Parts: sequence; structure tokens; C-alpha cells
Amino acid sequence: MTLAALSAAAYGGVLTWSCLLATRVAPLTLFLGGAGALLLGFVLVRSTEELLGSALLLLGAGYVLGLLVGRRSLDEGAPLVGAGLLLCAELATWSVELRFRVALEPALRLRRARAVGLLVLAGLASASFVLVVAATSIGGGLAWAILGSAAAVGAIALAAFVRS
Amino acid sequence: MSRRDSPRLVVYAGLAAIGLVAGLAVGRVELVALAAPFALAAAVGAALARRPPRLEGVLTLDRERALEGDDVRATLELSGGEDASRIDILLPLSDELRERDRRNPAAVPGSAERVELTLHCDRWGAFRIGPALVRARDVLSFHTWEAAIGGAKPLRVYPSVETMRSLLEPLETQVYVGNQVSRTRGDGIEFADIREWHPGDRLRRVNWRASARRGELWVNEQHPERNTDIVLFLDTFIDARLGMRGTLDMTVRAAASLAHRYLQRKDRVGIVSFGGYVSWLVPASGTRQLYRIVDSLLQMGIVLSFATKNLDVLPPRTLPPRALVLALTPLLDSRTTTALLDLRARGFDLVVVEVSPVPFVKPFGDELSVLSYRLWSLSREAQRAQFEWAGIPIVSWTDGEALDAVLEEVRAFRRYARPVRA
Repeated sequence: MTLAALSAAAYGGVLTWSCLLATRVAPLTLFLGGAGALLLGFVLVRSTEELLGSALLLLGAGYVLGLLVGRRSLDEGAPLVGAGLLLCAELATWSVELRFRVALEPALRLRRARAVGLLVLAGLASASFVLVVAATSIGGGLAWAILGSAAAVGAIALAAFVRS
Repeated sequence: MSRRDSPRLVVYAGLAAIGLVAGLAVGRVELVALAAPFALAAAVGAALARRPPRLEGVLTLDRERALEGDDVRATLELSGGEDASRIDILLPLSDELRERDRRNPAAVPGSAERVELTLHCDRWGAFRIGPALVRARDVLSFHTWEAAIGGAKPLRVYPSVETMRSLLEPLETQVYVGNQVSRTRGDGIEFADIREWHPGDRLRRVNWRASARRGELWVNEQHPERNTDIVLFLDTFIDARLGMRGTLDMTVRAAASLAHRYLQRKDRVGIVSFGGYVSWLVPASGTRQLYRIVDSLLQMGIVLSFATKNLDVLPPRTLPPRALVLALTPLLDSRTTTALLDLRARGFDLVVVEVSPVPFVKPFGDELSVLSYRLWSLSREAQRAQFEWAGIPIVSWTDGEALDAVLEEVRAFRRYARPVRA
């Protein structure tokens, strides 16, 4: 229950940030995020992990909407948003796993908490690194575009690999 | 071991790909930053899949035989789980066995070498424990590996035996030496009568006081101690059950108690399971016979059958002449009633213990159900009367009542009613 509440809190934090990013489209952002929240609630209540991706995607879409409509040239909160979404997903999954009544040793809970914390922190660091690199004027051009495309293709390949 | 990946791993990789592509398309670095944690998580997940654990295990029980209410310790020795962060273990158990410490299923660290579970035997039966179902996980539960390990171990839980002070004596004894005083006269301890001396009578049997009084030799006569044959006739056509208790359960308990006590007295005990599936054990005596009987009781179950069954399906040796046939029946199937009346007609010393199904049957609240329940109760009364008319002692035994008390009723019946022989 605590994990589910923490997951929902992380989700709520990201949704609030997305709404504040562009108040003009806040209702639309809220609508997308609300739909995602419903799905997240469904995931947490009915223990159906499959809908978690849709919930994250909807909230991500709300954030992107606020980002594109808002007037900021660079949102420094993006790493936090990414890490928040990841934290929300991890906590929701952990909460769903704990629904099955298993006699769990305390050391295992601690180990999982540490792993989730490390993953989220590493995610935050990697996202911050991306922003720092982007803020540093190291030039642009075709090479960077190719690198970015390769990263995107790599991510798609990774998704396909994991799915297989 | 079969591997299963968490659906969120695909979600992470997908979100990372969408973020990167969208970032490239709209030229916003925030989308790349948004995707970075997910890409990292997906990469970590893919890396964790590279080292699957090679779990192996040996399941052992501290004993293979136990009594109802006993605790049995099951130990699962694990090896090869070091690459897993957590191992979930489930030992599938039947309803009659219960894990005492609520540690089934249990989750242990991958480095665990031994898991112990205490199983409480709630009810008798023959069981197979295992194999244990194990599920190994990586530290973030991105991947799980499942297997069944440890093999299966047999466990026999014997029904608890009821303490019985006295037993039902058969009307007639057999020819072998036993503990039952025979009605006939011969060599024995129990004094029967005196009679005139005949050539061949031993000197030690002369009753000198009676001889002195009568002026001629008179000798003592004794009742010899003989064994008896008991056949436990179990009706296994139908089981009226409510939760963990039922008529078959009571029947098996009673049969185990009676067999135990009669065999203690050096009697020969046989068993006939008369139901959809007919089985029998020819009367014999000794501890080995007790184990045979209990083992056959453990296998006993209800097999649905509509075939007409009568006594002809039984081999003649299962029902020896002059045996006491003790029938334990819930009187729910007319085939048993017919077979028992047939036994009586063949001159067997028969006693019917009606294992009452009434506590296990509850009528619904509506009028029709109540009416049919009453009709059913009346038909049972009629069935009982049918036995009484045939001179068969019949007693009703309800759940929770001492079997001793029920058998006392039979003794009382027998004091006043004796079978008439032509």
C-alpha cells in the first residue's frame, strides 16, 4: 500500500510539473495525465502490469505538450521528470509484486529498495548529463544528428531484442 | 529453467526509443533527457538477462509416515542460485496438509542453501510432496526464471486411532487360539460346567468335590479361548461432506480404530470397501495386517458408479463363515442396503453402524427444500426399520460422538435380541 501511494505521489509530482510548464494547455495536460492516472490506478488496484506503459506514455505526452507550448527554451526539470516517471513505474511494479502473499525476508526488501534507488539516481544522472552536454557549446552538425539517430535506432533495437 | 521477462522492460525500451526519436524530430533535448533513464533501465535489464541462475535442489522429508496432527519437516537444499537476487519457493500442498509457519510460498535470497518448512498433517491420506516450484529473480525483477525442482516425496498420514475400552464380541468364535471366550466347551480357563467322567478324560479335570458328593467321578468343563474373524464392511458409494469433515472421513477413522483394537486382541481382521470401486483384504492377524489395512484405508476414495453391485463380486474368502461383519455406512446408497440384507440372509453375524450424514446436510431455507429434507429423513428412518425387522442391530453414529458409546448400544441390543437359526 505504501509503495502504491509513493508511486501515485511520483506520478502526481510529474503531472503537477507538466501542468505548471504551460498553464495555457494545462487542462489538456491534466486530461492526458488524468487518463494516465486512471490507468495507473487500474494497474495498482487490479495488479495488471501491462497497462503501466500506457499510463507513463500518456503522462509523457502531457509533459511534451506543455514543453512544446510553453515558452521556456530549456526545461531544467526534465531529468527529474524522467527519473520521476521511472520511479513511479518501479514502485508500481514492486507494489504489484507484493500483492502475492510471499513470506519475504527483510533483507530482500532492503536490497530491492537499494536497487530501485540506485537505478533512479543513475537515470537522473544520465538525464542530467544529457542536459549538461546540450547546454555546453561543443558545436552541432551532421555528426551529432547521426549519433542521435544511432541512439534512437539502438533504443528501438533494444526494445525489439527485449521483446523477443 | 524457463525465463520470463517483465513487461515493463519492453515499456522502458519503447519509451526510450519514442523519446529519442521525438527529441530528434522536434529538436528538444528535454525529450532525450526524458528518455535517458528509461534507456538506462532497459540496458540494465538486458545486461541482467545474461546470467541466468542454474538452480538445482533436493527435497527431503524427515519421515515418510506420520499420524494425523503430526508435524513433518520438509527441507529443500538449494544450489546454483547465486546469480539470482531472490528465489521464491512454493511447495504445492493438498488441502489436508498445512504449512505451519506461513512460509509457503517463501522468498529467500539467492545465496540461500536450505529452506525448511514445517508441514502440519490436518487429515489422513497418502500424499506426494513436491516438486517445489521455484522462481528466481534478478535484483530488479526484470527477469524471472522458473523451474520445478526437488522431485516428489511420498508421505503417508495415518488416521488417528480412537481409544476404545471395549469391543463388540462376535457371536461365534473361530478355531484358532485367541482372547475371546468361546461359547463351546473344551480346554480353556473359563469354567463352563461339570459332567460325568468319560474314558479318556484327563485326571487333572476331575472335580473332586463334586465327585465326593456324588460318589462317582465328575469332571470340569471349560470354555476355550478362541480368536474371532472381523470383517469391516465400508460403504464407499457416497460421501456426505462439509468442509474437512465427512462420512468417509469418519468411516476411515472408525475402521482404523476398530482394526487396531481387534488386531491387538489377536483376532483376524479383514476389510471390504464396497463402493464404485470394490476392494478387499482377506482376514488375517498381526501388525503386518494392521499396516495393510491402514494403507488400504489411505487409498480409499469415492468412485462414482451406477453399476449394480452385490456380494457376488467379492471372493468367498473375504467373508469367512462365523465372522462378525461390522458395516460402516452412511445409508445413502440402496446398493449397500441390499448387500447388507443379503449378508444377513446368508446368516452372517452383522452389525450396522450408520455413519450419520445428517450433520453434513443442511436444507435450504425454502419450503420445498425443508419438505424434501423431511422426506429424506423419513426414508432414512424406514431404512433403519428395515434392518431392525431383519434382526440386524443398527446404531447411528454422529460426528463428535465416541464410537465406544455407539457400540455399547449394539451390546444392549444384543442382550435382548439374538439371531434365530433354523
